[in-house]
Amino acid sequence: MEHLPVASILVFLPLAGALLLVPVWKQPELARWFALGTALLELALVGYLFSAMPATAGTATPLPGYFLWEDLPWIGRIGIRYTLGMDGITLLLGFLTAFVTVVAMLVSWRAIGERVAFHYFLLLVMESGIMGVFLALDLFLFYLFWEVMLVPMFFLIGIWGHGRRIYSAVKFFLFTLFGSLLMLLAIIGVYLIHGSQTGSYTFALSALTTTRIAPGVACWLFAAFLLAFAIKVPLIPLHTWLPDAHTDAPTAGSVVLAGLLLKTGAYGLIRFAYPLFPEAARMFTPVLLAAAVIGIIYGSWLAYAQTDMKRLVAYSSVGHMGFVALGIAAWTPVSLSGSVLQMVNHGITTGALFALVGMLDERTGTREIGAFGGLWGKVPLFAAFFLLFSMASAGLPGLNNFAGEFLILAGSFRVFALPAVLAIIGIVLPLVYTVRLVQEVLFVTERHCLVQSDLSRREGGVLGVLAIIAVYLGVHPAPLLAILKVPVALLTAGAGGMP
Amino acid sequence: MTTAELWTVMPLAILACGALVVLIFGAVAPGRHGTAVGACFLLGAALWCLHQPPSTATSSLGLALTPFARFFTVFFSLTALLVLLLSHDYNERRGVAGEEYPATILFTVFGMGVLSASVNLLTLFLGLEGMTFGFYFLVAIDRTRPESGEAGMKYLLMGAVAAAFTAIGIALVYAGVGTLEIGAAMKALSAMGKGNPVLLAGAGFLLAGIAFKVSLVPAHLWTPDVYEGAPAPVVAFLSTASKGSAVAFLLLLLAAAGGAGPLRTPIWMLSLLSMVTGNLAALLQTNLKRMLAYSAIGQMGYIALALIVIGEGGFGAAAFYVVAYTAMNLAAFGVIASLTGGSEPAALEDYRGLGYSRPFQGGVMALAMFALAGIPPTAGFIGKFFIFTAAIRGGEVALAVIGILTAVVSVYYYLRVVVNLYMRPADTGSAPANGTVPEYVALACAAAVILFLGIFPGPLTELIDLISR
Repeated sequence: MEHLPVASILVFLPLAGALLLVPVWKQPELARWFALGTALLELALVGYLFSAMPATAGTATPLPGYFLWEDLPWIGRIGIRYTLGMDGITLLLGFLTAFVTVVAMLVSWRAIGERVAFHYFLLLVMESGIMGVFLALDLFLFYLFWEVMLVPMFFLIGIWGHGRRIYSAVKFFLFTLFGSLLMLLAIIGVYLIHGSQTGSYTFALSALTTTRIAPGVACWLFAAFLLAFAIKVPLIPLHTWLPDAHTDAPTAGSVVLAGLLLKTGAYGLIRFAYPLFPEAARMFTPVLLAAAVIGIIYGSWLAYAQTDMKRLVAYSSVGHMGFVALGIAAWTPVSLSGSVLQMVNHGITTGALFALVGMLDERTGTREIGAFGGLWGKVPLFAAFFLLFSMASAGLPGLNNFAGEFLILAGSFRVFALPAVLAIIGIVLPLVYTVRLVQEVLFVTERHCLVQSDLSRREGGVLGVLAIIAVYLGVHPAPLLAILKVPVALLTAGAGGMP
Repeated sequence: MTTAELWTVMPLAILACGALVVLIFGAVAPGRHGTAVGACFLLGAALWCLHQPPSTATSSLGLALTPFARFFTVFFSLTALLVLLLSHDYNERRGVAGEEYPATILFTVFGMGVLSASVNLLTLFLGLEGMTFGFYFLVAIDRTRPESGEAGMKYLLMGAVAAAFTAIGIALVYAGVGTLEIGAAMKALSAMGKGNPVLLAGAGFLLAGIAFKVSLVPAHLWTPDVYEGAPAPVVAFLSTASKGSAVAFLLLLLAAAGGAGPLRTPIWMLSLLSMVTGNLAALLQTNLKRMLAYSAIGQMGYIALALIVIGEGGFGAAAFYVVAYTAMNLAAFGVIASLTGGSEPAALEDYRGLGYSRPFQGGVMALAMFALAGIPPTAGFIGKFFIFTAAIRGGEVALAVIGILTAVVSVYYYLRVVVNLYMRPADTGSAPANGTVPEYVALACAAAVILFLGIFPGPLTELIDLISR
């Protein structure tokens, strides 16, 4: 394995799989299996890396903490390089990417009836794009993947979506692009400042983090990065694309959006925005804290008001991602580990919830909470999973979200007591809407139950694996935290520790 | 003129002779071979150009095959070659017969080649007008459609005014500096331009004249009408090579002047107005060709932005964007041409569901739209990236931010095309025409260039580095 360009394979294997779908374009069944095979292969590769990681971390790579590293000149004249690397943080997020893609494929196995190959083609292209975002360590390369991953999602929402699918798809695209293009200007700005200081023009992250930037300029540049990433996370008040996109997307699209795309925003903050502009980030900390706390409370509040289950889950994402942002804003080792862990947790639980809602939608054609009732008696298997993931999402101790939220609160309380205390409200609020949701859908028996069939073996299997991971991460997150320890320590040490 | 001098401008001579040969060929053996003969001459001129070592030796013709001229002559010849491939079956379906079409294309390329090779303001003017002269015919060539004639008339009137502006500009510059040699005239202009009203007026008239050709706001009004009326392959040529040669004209002059100098403020305003007006007006269009016309105005605004900072990498950025833009527009208008049966699919609604009923053309159109919108990994993204890098390096941060914001606006209308292609159900009525092999070849070439430049821009940037010296 040492001589294989593993990082490149991780990024381009799904793309290659997508291109190989072209010959079977007209054979939906083959296309499904082919795509699933590719995604499983990718998952196996990431799984293998878990075992290879501790052995080689930091020994064979130019940067500490990284255990995969590839660096080739690409557009030499202007200093653009093809640099991919993987450390503990991206190992977890890469695993999440590969896993959630498999989940997204399986939950849309029967729901997508037309243009099947195109659907799986897009899912695989998106997996490539997201992997690229997580692995790229050259700002230009990162930006390229960052925009590339928008396109498949735009098509997924616009072609197979529900309701106002085209409106939502275009809104999603424009919102994200607006932030991204300003970030592009900021990237160019850092590149030129670094080049004029040192004489070597480069987009390499490791070089650009050493740039000394005048505080006034740095604030503007950081603001552009923050805008791009905050739209993606999303932070209040830049979240308005999210409920539309999540609600109108097909199930696979919602799963990938919530499970992966939102994570790229938080990841961008951790990997790029903070290390590039530590001083400016410190100045913006109150802004980020406020946005995070308001997001936690306001997102939950809005979730409570929803009658469409998909919208409810979408707004709950706003709240959960607020926690992630809080952990990033505090920038302590504990809170940052919590944030990364919470990104994985949120990907698992929210992905599962979107899958569950999608299954209801597939069976009945509606997602209104009021249309369901008494599922506990009718479809016990479904109800059990629904209860489990709802509780996990609400942060019940022993399930995965609790571990992440606890770490974030513990880590940020020491440095920012008030926001952390306010965020605790955000632990209670999800319980309110979740209990209401569970009660109405599962236990109210007066209403006529539309759902007739319980989970199929495929659905049960997917949810079963998700449940095992949710419980495992809730009970025993230590192995993951061990993986995160070194990279998080390196990140927080570089900033000199936040006040 | 000696034989040796003729050799130095041989590629241009091939183009000019080619135009005549195609015409004679049509008289001797009338038929449908004009395209093939014309294509051979274009390819021949391009190959000769590549084979001949560049030199700065000036002939008494006022021409020199500089690296700049070599690059652009090859580029224009190949563009015209693709346009011929796109035109052949289109013209057959639309009933545009005769060898005058390929002959005029060749003559037009000859004009472009002369323009890029000129070392003298007069030959520069002749090249520009030779090219425009060809387009007067081409725009109006579809006599069965009244719109084509109307577009031709509009283009002729506007072109005549623009030519007058350019000629007066050249006359005033000559009056001011006493030479027609581009290098000397432009150096004198930048050296003593500020205090010399005659020179300033001359430069202003020149810029106004060329702004018509580039269709920069406020000299853009002809563009939507001409794009809408002219046949699609002609628009493909007009919007790429003619814009490209107008930009080459400006590059030649501004590079010789060593920067935008006193023209900075006017070009700044032209760029700003074009980016804003073009991209906002495109939002309102329901006709694809009109929409692309306004999009072209916006895109030219970006190139104008690069021209302001020509000394800080703007030269390379503008030249790169010309190539990228040519590939993107050839693809977009090529798809329109290849879908034309009895009539051109004009309204955006005509493209509903085409991504499925005509997967290849739909895919190329979608790629062209994403490229024009500046989404990676396409040539459009890299081109915009170079332009904005140059702009920030040159200190034009405000204009760069405005440019980026208008680019976000532009994405909306480009996406509307993609939405129609893939996300709206097709009408059950007649599906548009299916393309032919030459059209597929041309579209595939354009698409390949878009992707190749988007992923490996290195070779082209190195080539452009060579010509900017």
